[in-house]
Amino acid sequence: MKSNSLSLGLAVLGVVFLVIGVLYAFGVLQIFVSDPHSAHHYTHLILFTVLAVAAFVAANFTRERVV
Amino acid sequence: MSFWQALFMGLLQGATELFPVSSLGHAVLVPSLLHWSFKQSDRSFVPFLVLLHLGTAGALLVLYRRQWVDIVIGFVRAAIRGSISTPTERLSMLLMVGTLPAAVLGVFLENRIKSLFASPYEAAGFLVLNGLLMLGFEVMRRRAERKAVLQGTSREEQEERFADAAQISFRAAAIVGACQALAFLPGISRSGVTIGGGLLAGLRHEEAARFSFLLATPVILGAGLVEVPLLFSSGVPVSEYLLSAVLAGVAAYVSARFLLRYFRSGRLDPYGWYCIAAGLVSLALLTLNL
Repeated sequence: MKSNSLSLGLAVLGVVFLVIGVLYAFGVLQIFVSDPHSAHHYTHLILFTVLAVAAFVAANFTRERVV
Repeated sequence: MSFWQALFMGLLQGATELFPVSSLGHAVLVPSLLHWSFKQSDRSFVPFLVLLHLGTAGALLVLYRRQWVDIVIGFVRAAIRGSISTPTERLSMLLMVGTLPAAVLGVFLENRIKSLFASPYEAAGFLVLNGLLMLGFEVMRRRAERKAVLQGTSREEQEERFADAAQISFRAAAIVGACQALAFLPGISRSGVTIGGGLLAGLRHEEAARFSFLLATPVILGAGLVEVPLLFSSGVPVSEYLLSAVLAGVAAYVSARFLLRYFRSGRLDPYGWYCIAAGLVSLALLTLNL
């Protein structure tokens, strides 16, 4: 399924994942964490970075090609 | 945990990790049945198990070293190009799709999962459930073989009619990956549910095992990245534990070679029956406190 709007949406989602990952790493977000007293949640940072990479890859796959 | 207990646990984990019998279930049950004094609810127990898993992941990396190089190169090429042009590139994308559900569920359900590690009763119960799942997967596979009118043919010929790992759909890869998350429950086998999921997706037994082993590697390595630092900060004898991890790796390598050969014509049934028997016997022993 090729669509530039879908591709843009996935790219934006990738950026959102990155931002969420950074917020977890700095301890700003404390939702769904194993230790709420911890200042940093690097596990979540790794997960959201991987999700961001997946979203960017998906965005590149769904981009319309100019022939 | 004594030196010899740590070595035994390494051998047990490595030998059972890739067999569809739940290494984690065995790691929780066997010390309880032997009345060993160390506590599985101890803060260092989960990182210790993860260290053993890293030994297994190392064995899988050695076993599939050439394939992993091709998969990583294929992933980067396909990601940059934005299209898939080779079976290896497709396999790399399937592995990414299959890995994400387990990673998301693992991170967000971490606490609830860890609380289950302390109970051998639950591990025994899940082991029985795992056995039933294995038998169920084979019942459904036999139904697919009947539909394809493959009864009169040999096992090798039956298997040849099913697909390679790179041929399954992305939806099937995601479902197999989500099944992998079930293996966070001690007693449910990661390789069992992913091989079973692969069979339902139409893979040959040997290819389902290969896909399962490839799928396991990033999740195990990811878990190791997160948990192993806790082991080093918990004041336990890390050098002894490292030796256990090496032993786990050697046992896992031998197991993987055996299983890939076995699944050329073998099925999941013997492992299913073993899990049911082992789970029921463990429940009886635990209840009678023998």
